Amino acid sequence: MQVKGSKEIRAGVLDSGLCTGCGACVSLCPYYATHKGKTVMHFSCTREEGRCHAHCPRAEVNLDRISSQFFGEEYSASPFGSYINIHSARAGDKAGVSGFQTAGTVSALIKFALEKGYIDSAVLTKNEEGFGVPFVIDNPGDVEKASGSRYSVSPTVKGVNDAINSGRRKIGAVGTPCQTLAVAQLRGNPLKQEGFTDPIALSIGLFCTWALTASDFTALMKSMGDISTIRKLDIPPPPASSMEIETGNKSYIIPLDDIRKLIPEACSYCHDMTAEFADISVGVYEGKTKQNIAIIRTERGRKIFEEAVNAGYLETEKIPEEAIAPLAAASMNKKKKGLGKLAGANLINSETGHTVIRMKKSTLESILKGGASCC
Amino acid sequence: MLLSKSEGKEFLLMGNQAIARGALEAGVSVAAGYPGTPSSEIIENLASVAPEADLYVEWSVNEKVSLEVAAAGSFAGLRSLCVMKQNGVNVASDFLLHLVLSGTRGGMVLIPCDDPGAISSVNEGESRYFARLMEIPLLEPGDFQEAKDMTKWAFSLSEELGNVVMLRSVTRLSHASGNVKLGALNRTKPAAKFNFSGNLLDAKTGPVITAPVPFRHTQQQGKLKKAAALFETSPFNRYEGPENPELLIITSSACYLYSREALRVLDTEKRAGILKLGTTWPLPPELLKKHLAAAEKVLIVEEVLPFLEENIKILAMENIDSIGKIKFFGKNDGTLPSVNEMNPDYVIKAISSILNIPYTGMPEEYEKSGQILSFTKSPNRELTFCPGCPHRASYWSINRALTLNGENGFVCGDIGCYTMAILPAGFGTIKTAHSMGSGTGVASGFGKLKSFGMNQPVVSVCGDSTFFHAGMPALVNAVHNNSDMLLVILDNSGTAMTGFQPHPGIPSGAAGNELPSVDIEGICRSIGAKTFTADPFNVAETEKKVLEIIENERGPRVLIMRQGCALSPEKKGKKKYNVSVDSNICKGSDCGCNRLCTRVFRCPGLVCDSATGKAMIDEIICAGCGVCADICPSGAIKRSEVAL
Ligand SMILES: Cc1cc2nc3c(=O)[nH]c(=O)nc-3n(C[C@H](O)[C@H](O)[C@H](O)COP(=O)(O)OP(=O)(O)OC[C@H]3O[C@@H](n4cnc5c(N)ncnc54)[C@H](O)[C@@H]3O)c2cc1C
Ligand code: SF4
Ligand code: SF4
Ligand code: SF4
Ligand code: SF4
Repeated sequence: MQVKGSKEIRAGVLDSGLCTGCGACVSLCPYYATHKGKTVMHFSCTREEGRCHAHCPRAEVNLDRISSQFFGEEYSASPFGSYINIHSARAGDKAGVSGFQTAGTVSALIKFALEKGYIDSAVLTKNEEGFGVPFVIDNPGDVEKASGSRYSVSPTVKGVNDAINSGRRKIGAVGTPCQTLAVAQLRGNPLKQEGFTDPIALSIGLFCTWALTASDFTALMKSMGDISTIRKLDIPPPPASSMEIETGNKSYIIPLDDIRKLIPEACSYCHDMTAEFADISVGVYEGKTKQNIAIIRTERGRKIFEEAVNAGYLETEKIPEEAIAPLAAASMNKKKKGLGKLAGANLINSETGHTVIRMKKSTLESILKGGASCC
Repeated sequence: MLLSKSEGKEFLLMGNQAIARGALEAGVSVAAGYPGTPSSEIIENLASVAPEADLYVEWSVNEKVSLEVAAAGSFAGLRSLCVMKQNGVNVASDFLLHLVLSGTRGGMVLIPCDDPGAISSVNEGESRYFARLMEIPLLEPGDFQEAKDMTKWAFSLSEELGNVVMLRSVTRLSHASGNVKLGALNRTKPAAKFNFSGNLLDAKTGPVITAPVPFRHTQQQGKLKKAAALFETSPFNRYEGPENPELLIITSSACYLYSREALRVLDTEKRAGILKLGTTWPLPPELLKKHLAAAEKVLIVEEVLPFLEENIKILAMENIDSIGKIKFFGKNDGTLPSVNEMNPDYVIKAISSILNIPYTGMPEEYEKSGQILSFTKSPNRELTFCPGCPHRASYWSINRALTLNGENGFVCGDIGCYTMAILPAGFGTIKTAHSMGSGTGVASGFGKLKSFGMNQPVVSVCGDSTFFHAGMPALVNAVHNNSDMLLVILDNSGTAMTGFQPHPGIPSGAAGNELPSVDIEGICRSIGAKTFTADPFNVAETEKKVLEIIENERGPRVLIMRQGCALSPEKKGKKKYNVSVDSNICKGSDCGCNRLCTRVFRCPGLVCDSATGKAMIDEIICAGCGVCADICPSGAIKRSEVAL
């Protein structure tokens, strides 16, 4: 991996429509800031090597290196990345969480991990005047304040940086795949700082097909009335093709085609649907609205997950092979599209100029050649 | 010295002092002006003796009004003076065009101080062309003695002609010093009375008006003819040199000194002569004919544009039968540059090439390496805001707010110290910069381009003095036309750039006398703009405010950023905070800061320790404003309030 500086981030990421707005470069230094879901640069930094570049999920991401670091194996062409097992899950009664998006698995896990001391703090994403903003909590009681999904681009990883800056060292981080990728990069101590220890004790990834440009989405919401009265906002899994919004006394259905216009260009380069470098990845169980799908990827993830089940914070069911087929297909499809677009723009393994992804050529080829659905 | 009675005694005087003394000797009663380098000291010197000398002196709101105030003195029979820098004449020119037609009564002198080379200006405008355009006499002193003597003479000339007389100075005359022999000073306090009941056409007793125009214009041109006749014998036009010079140099103003030095250096005083003109418009035709007839080669040396050159060529053409053929050298043929200041070196090179005198001067190599060395080896003294300057903090917040907003917003600027924000000193925040108040006028226009799809936020900046000078009409325009723009008034409580002259917002006058002040915020509100205020030293809050006003408010808005200039008499030399850098915390050039304070914020009070890359405070330079403590991302800069 070749770490560069902010000049490359500005030219190669911010000004090239690649920035995911993840916030990983914010709160590291005075030069980056985030406002209404958009990452901007104040003035300019002349450093040739910096953490902004090292952490950014859109600059020199070496999939094989990160995969080896967490899973002891190179990045593969499989639909979900490396994992131990997959469950259907939902929050159990003991968790006492509400307001969740799908079935509360994420909120329940974070609450449990905080209560049991697996983590001493968590970085979540709450709603502030229609925008998603990072929310650092130390108290299990605060989990619910951030439950539910903000479908707009949110600078969540800024919260991780804030938590680290304030001395927290057992952090639980919840994020979309791009955010989780940034967190995975920073966990690898790319600038080889002395005395570094991994500050992330639990990384929970959310499945994601796309997010929405924050200012446009908020404007759309505002056009429907007072955004503070929005109770629920959901995109039911296919075959439904709309976004459902429930406000105080009304509910709206917006065709997904209208919503898709608000997807930033950056999302079209994304290849990761299931947050492949998390400890546990959580998403929607297609066809079962009261269930999440949880992919357990690491040993420590498995331990916390199982204990949460034993303690009644989570309820799980076995998941039949065929139930994950649609997700596998969707995931492979996203890989193909995202990596294909990156490759087309010469942003994979590029010898000169900006590179987003580095990975084994044969893995790339097998993904690009593979059918839309595999396994 | 200004009021010294020691007639005949010599004093070392600055050009502007000599002019002030000349006006006092002439018995001036009213003096008005608008501050602007290099002219300001004339009014300042007069103001310093105003009560003693029974003078009325004021800093007016702008140059046009200052000319009107001075004209009133003249209309009432008093001798009056009006002073401004070169571009001020543009502002005053509308009134001037009418004044020259109505004529004046008490002697009235207009003194523009030009700034060739734009040493302290953003243009090198020529006021001399106004004399020709307005058809009034133009005088150009060639040294310090003449600065005094010609000023004095200008008043009586004005009275004799019944019209305003222009006396042009330049930076090198106004700001340099030389020996001046004083003349008699007999101050009396004449009575002012404006007579208007005479015949409509009577210039001395009727109403002062421009109608009937053809009649007055004929009269005016008659005055100019009379001036030309008077100039034929003026002692301020002198010739020195051989009777039939191989080369005749015609020059005026400071260029006279350069020409003399050039002849001396080249040891050509016997071959070339200098006709030094003190009265450069209208040209005295007979005097010129005589000297032109005696020469075949003529070099015209002047600053900046070929004003004399063009007028002399016309005169020579019209009289070609008596003068004969002449080869002219000057600016039009490229012998001399028509930009920048003149200097002896240019003149030496011109003469040596015309007369074929070998002149080696400095070897070219030496000169070149000298230039390179002075550029690369001299300490880096970039143009920047003073330590503790509120503008640096203001632009910090404006720039950051516009960046956060992310919609390509920009700032239109105008004239003042704050113009430096076109440079890194102000983070390159200003994107248009023209004349006084023009940023707001330009912004008013930009703010109407929404219908053409322009969605960039539009901001203008304007100083407090500039706001009164020319910003107000622009704001009225923006409000009336409902332009979508934000005017940020950088209110540092004074006309700081030119040395703290008061303006209408300050409760005192030119002589330090108490005066009512005019409230900027009240004006803006009554015009109909939504107004806000901020303290630019509170950077975080100011940034937030700017962002909110840009994003959540529409239409014409005004934000007044109020904080006194670091050099203001109230602040100078007094630190509010003791400031220091904790080098254990400072990140220096490491990732995480990369010297934000010394590399980007760049207050001269902060220095970078080149060995460690960490920041330090230069105690001597630091003004103790404490702002850098707020911009440091690591909390390494500590400040503690100085006990009073
Ligand atoms: C932008 C976005 C797109 C998604 N797209 C899909 C999809 O295509 N398919 C699918 O199966 N699932 C998707 N999800 C995940 C899904 O919406 C649920 O978050 C997931 O099923 C977990 O449900 P839960 O009930 O356990 O969540 P909850 O218990 O409600 O917890 C959700 C957690 O997500 C965090 N969060 C909310 N918004 C954001 C955000 N913008 N960025 C980072 N963290 C956030 C909150 O802090 C909260 O802790 C998406 C989520 C997001 C934020
Ligand atoms: S190199 Fe370091 S200091 Fe510079 S912009 Fe990147 S993170 Fe900030
Ligand atoms: S993708 Fe994330 S880390 Fe990269 S520039 Fe954008 S906000 Fe910063
Ligand atoms: S801004 Fe602060 S941390 Fe950075 S160099 Fe200056 S004093 Fe040091
Ligand atoms: S306190 Fe800081 S910003 Fe203010 S003058 Fe001193 S060094 Fe400059």
